[in-house]
Amino acid sequence: MKLSRKKLKVEVPSVAMGDIAFNLLVFFVILARAQDDRHLQWTPARARSIESAAPAAVRIAIDKNNDLFFNGMKTSVGQLKDLITQRLGDLPAGKRTVWLKVHDETAALRFEPVIEAISSAGGELVHILDEDKE
Amino acid sequence: MKIRRQTGLLIEPPGVATGDIAFNLIVFFLVCASTQPDSGRKQNLPKSEQTQQQQEKSENLQIDLTRTLVQINGEPVKMKDFIPLVKAKLSGKSRPEDKVVVVKSKKDVPYNHWIAVTTRIEEAGGIVTLQIEEEQQQIVP
Repeated sequence: MKLSRKKLKVEVPSVAMGDIAFNLLVFFVILARAQDDRHLQWTPARARSIESAAPAAVRIAIDKNNDLFFNGMKTSVGQLKDLITQRLGDLPAGKRTVWLKVHDETAALRFEPVIEAISSAGGELVHILDEDKE
Repeated sequence: MKIRRQTGLLIEPPGVATGDIAFNLIVFFLVCASTQPDSGRKQNLPKSEQTQQQQEKSENLQIDLTRTLVQINGEPVKMKDFIPLVKAKLSGKSRPEDKVVVVKSKKDVPYNHWIAVTTRIEEAGGIVTLQIEEEQQQIVP
């Protein structure tokens, strides 16, 4: 007499898939934050008739503590021109957009040299602002 | 009389989907959190060498900014009169180099005031150029 062998079902356990996805997401969020400046504290200045800005190749920010950031990393005005030039490389016109986020109370002494550095590095300056609806 | 049968089995809600729910919640909060402003004003600043050459060739408008005041060629101006005045001074100038407006700011001028003035200059048809005083360090022996 031949006994039939009981067939075992082999399945890949999928219970942990959600946890894996969660951990991957956390990993990529942390990685993305390193080049982001969303954690900075600043209040945008207000202006009339603003428009949607082109995607940024470089993001520069001056926060409410007067600190200067290049793509989320703290830097100094002296290094800024070289950093922008290096980052923009040989990008064609139209893709050399530099977003400038400046806290509304920042003094000219601080932000004008930054604007000059962007200009001399060949960046296409866009001031990030809030719309003044009044 | 009918006697209810007790099975004694624990009934637990299915926990397989918890991870997916957590994932969707995170995505939701991430989308909600990313509401940083991404609109603004493009500003074309002529290169400093070009500006110097232009200034040599033609007389440009000069705007002096202090913390609260605005002066056009040395004369104080109210903000409401600013655009018509700049427009009037730029009228008849067709070449881009003649439309250059030199903005000279005191060290303590706040960014919001600077933006308000430069925005108005561009609305009036001017091309903003900055005049920055260079700091010179002198080492005393």
